[in-house]
Amino acid sequence: MARWLKWTINLVILTALITACSVIYWKLMTNRTLILNCSSELFDRHSHGNVDGKYYLLVDVLIAANNAQVNYRYFNFDGTSAGTISMQGKVEKIEANSMTYQIAVQTKTESELEKHKDWPEHMKYLSYISSLHFNVSGIHNLSIEVLDMDDTKDYAVVLFQPSNTVCGCRIVNSRI
Amino acid sequence: MIMQLGDCRFDRERGTLTELSRDESWHLPRAELQVLSLLVEHQGQLVSKYMLKIGDGQHPPLTDTSVARAVFMLRSFLGTRHEGLIETVKGQGYLLQPLNGNKRKYVNYLRLQTIPLWSVLVLFGAMLAVSFFYLYQIDHSKPTQALMSSEISLASGENVRLHLYANSNTNNLLLFKLGERLSAGLTACGQSDWKDVYASLSHDKQVLNVTLRGEKLGQSVIRNIKISDFTQPKEFIDATWLREVDICG
Repeated sequence: MARWLKWTINLVILTALITACSVIYWKLMTNRTLILNCSSELFDRHSHGNVDGKYYLLVDVLIAANNAQVNYRYFNFDGTSAGTISMQGKVEKIEANSMTYQIAVQTKTESELEKHKDWPEHMKYLSYISSLHFNVSGIHNLSIEVLDMDDTKDYAVVLFQPSNTVCGCRIVNSRI
Repeated sequence: MIMQLGDCRFDRERGTLTELSRDESWHLPRAELQVLSLLVEHQGQLVSKYMLKIGDGQHPPLTDTSVARAVFMLRSFLGTRHEGLIETVKGQGYLLQPLNGNKRKYVNYLRLQTIPLWSVLVLFGAMLAVSFFYLYQIDHSKPTQALMSSEISLASGENVRLHLYANSNTNNLLLFKLGERLSAGLTACGQSDWKDVYASLSHDKQVLNVTLRGEKLGQSVIRNIKISDFTQPKEFIDATWLREVDICG
């Protein structure tokens, strides 16, 4: 068999292998889904010894393929809405070793801007920080790292950065 | 010039090779002397067949067969233990191994030259691609470790693990103080359903996040508390508040 023919066959096989590996890698990357639901009790303190505000916060994290959505829903103690912040973006990177999702938030919507001064402090803080990032770079980067999880008990403890927030969540769906 | 080759001594002036153990001396014929002299002169280096054939140019050149035969005879005289001292470099010539005992492996460059340039470039490109993939795609991340983890023993004999998380290893005095308060509050419970308590302060130190995880009636339970404190000095939590929020679960 001529040498050029041998090399051509080798190259064709190599190309096929590289293509197959790339397709498998791409399929794995786009098949990842994570849905978390995290509920929190919020306490605002403005004076010593007193709790001036008490709210509930529901955070929904939805990661599917390369899309990410994080919804923050705030409720007053009586169950009425205290505001919502909804963020949409892309998953920039998934670091499997540390189970971290790097998310670039591209858009956000905030409700009831006219009631800004009545917002829970957590909502004001979140709104301020994300707006600051949007104004500087047009993107609000955040990461969600799973510190501890148990699929059988449907819980995950995650760490949000850059806010350095630990939060316990229910796993609604997980295919990592 | 006299030199040792394995168990033999080579006297170049006299043109003799002497096997010391048998005390057998061999007066080398011209081909053997020419080949061995050149190999000794370039010890540790490849000597081409052409050079071995030509010699010093004062005599008629040797034939390929004469050179091959001379090498064969020299190896036979050196004996089976030392015949490897004269190494054949296929298609190019011969090499006399250095005397320090470090066997030198000769790279057959002529053979390498037969590999087409484009295949070397393809290989180089593939290696570059693999390096690029490794640097940018392979995950080098490490899980975040708790700044401090401690175990709180309750009066009931249960243990609660407390983990403090910070995004820096410095300036965490307030977090440590809050950890101590949480720890004291949980100790005061005497008994608790919580197994793990995670606490962190937001990067601007305005929000304390506490996550409690445990089991109640065989079910996994989780509770998140976030306290925003704008008072100075910041307290976040005290014994009264811990009782109010029923931290014991």
